Amino acid sequence: MASTTPHKSDWAEDDEFELPPTTETLGADGITTIVSWKFDENDKKVKVTRRVRRKLQTQLVSHSIAERKAWPKFGDDKGKPAGPDRQTTIIGENLHFKIAAVNRAAAEAAAAADAAAADAAKAPAGKAVVCRLCKGGHFTAKCPYKDQLAELDSAAAGLGEDDEAAAAGGVRAAGGLAAPGSGAVGGKYVPPGQRGGGPGESMFRSRDDLPTLRVTSLSFDAEDDDLRSLFEPFATFGRLARANVVRDRETRESKGFGFVSYENRKDAEKALAKMNGYGYDSLILNVSWSQPREPRP
Amino acid sequence: MKPIILQGHERSLTQIVFNAEGDLLFTASKDKIVNAWYTSNGERLGTYNGHNGSVWTVACDSQTRYLLTGAADSTMKLWEVSTGKCLKTWEFLTAVTRVAWSEDDEMALCITEQRTGQPSVIRTFAINLADPAASSSTPLKEIILSGSKATCALWAPLSEHILTGHESGKIAKYDAKTGEEVNAVHESHRANITDIQLSPDGTYFITSSKDKTARIFDSDTLEEMKVFATETPLNSACITPLRPYIILGGGQDAMNVTTTSSRAGKFESRFWHKLFEEEVGRVKGHFGPINTLACHPQGRAYASGAEDGFVRVHWFDESYFRSRPFGDLEPEVEV
Repeated sequence: MASTTPHKSDWAEDDEFELPPTTETLGADGITTIVSWKFDENDKKVKVTRRVRRKLQTQLVSHSIAERKAWPKFGDDKGKPAGPDRQTTIIGENLHFKIAAVNRAAAEAAAAADAAAADAAKAPAGKAVVCRLCKGGHFTAKCPYKDQLAELDSAAAGLGEDDEAAAAGGVRAAGGLAAPGSGAVGGKYVPPGQRGGGPGESMFRSRDDLPTLRVTSLSFDAEDDDLRSLFEPFATFGRLARANVVRDRETRESKGFGFVSYENRKDAEKALAKMNGYGYDSLILNVSWSQPREPRP
Repeated sequence: MKPIILQGHERSLTQIVFNAEGDLLFTASKDKIVNAWYTSNGERLGTYNGHNGSVWTVACDSQTRYLLTGAADSTMKLWEVSTGKCLKTWEFLTAVTRVAWSEDDEMALCITEQRTGQPSVIRTFAINLADPAASSSTPLKEIILSGSKATCALWAPLSEHILTGHESGKIAKYDAKTGEEVNAVHESHRANITDIQLSPDGTYFITSSKDKTARIFDSDTLEEMKVFATETPLNSACITPLRPYIILGGGQDAMNVTTTSSRAGKFESRFWHKLFEEEVGRVKGHFGPINTLACHPQGRAYASGAEDGFVRVHWFDESYFRSRPFGDLEPEVEV
């Protein structure tokens, strides 16, 4: 969205340090184009173009709230224009928050799976108990996802044997990953972000780091939540990093495909195997690995 | 649910509070500044500049006219909310760790820190609402604590009593007029009590503690009603109006954060069912332990402030108000 315009670096030029004013133009289609300028960290001028659709939301509030809304700013914000300042206020990424009773059995199974993964580093992988449905560290009969997965499982019964092999590979891979996580291997310092257990913490994790599936021939009626409920059963603890349907920027109509990101690759592999060719809403889903986006010119 | 992230502080948050209508949020931090924000869009209304040390506590009166703050520069200040002007300063010998308004806004309480030679003291002051600058500097009552120091306090309903949480894990109730300890439960928590917040109707209150539990007590009898046992030390707890949940926040101590992996940190706000004592949801986002939580007085939103210096305001989705995690046992709520 943002495009850079390298500015001629004539240091003697006076208006080098002045930014052109922000302009707003309202298009015929109801979309406002806001062009603003800022300096980046190298003190280069950057042009930021935002295209937004403004929707007026009216809210009835009490008089005292309405009065307070008109208060002039004070302190460090004295004289700043109305509206949120992008320096101090940002809108975070959409969080999926659902109130639901935590499945005790699932939580325990997850803890057991974690413990099993830790043990896998020492013990041979073959000995661990692996659930046939969700590949967790418990018996298939005790699988917390049994109900959700049973129908999917029968749909893809033919894949069973391949799965077994994949699972063993997965456990081994997990064991391999766990080793560097256990601390400094060979006395070498490993930055926290590269230790086992996934990427380090940051507020905005890049979505390119996550194992992402591309789901095509998706029904046009499918919403983000439908996609989520379709792919959630494969994720450990039922947590997906994201699930979204790609929509047209202007009309908000579905384009018939979407992306699902898992927190770990094993889950994504499982979902890929099971969901590719799965029938949903009279269409047959086509699931493949998402190709990382080409860097923009 | 899209959180609004407020980045107006350079250091960790110490306390955040909503005003009575929930349209403003006040955030106090160790960087000496107190910020006021519009909760609907995250716009910063202004800053209250003047403290010369970490601001430990902030409280807003019921009419959103005056703001009280207490800081490590051993002062308590009273500000005009709308202009950010400091109207009155009270000076003490040690840091002010907690302030609170009484129900009718005519009294304020403050807790001062225990230091060598100085005991922890709870003082109450009369506030002259017509002209706060003319309020008396001499306290109405001084309650000198002989045992464990108080870490947090609030006015019990009707403002006749003060409820306190102590470092030893004790909770106590003092008569605001006489200063006598009316009731106390010594072993209510196993460790330092970090926060105390009243329920919407005031008949019970919640405490959070470093002993990894949060507990609900009866405001009148101090009888323990509910226990919520988690796996991390807790820094804050609040009760959501409208829905039967509580929100808990905590995580590893700041000094241990660099030595633990991100997932073990558990820097999430956790929702628990108030009655069934079961966890019902988590909201992640912070990358430091949550220091303080506040719930919108009408139950529409909640905000969390963390060691990472960010405040996140979450407006609840439609699904939150419809949720009934334990099925038909729960009454439906009209929103």
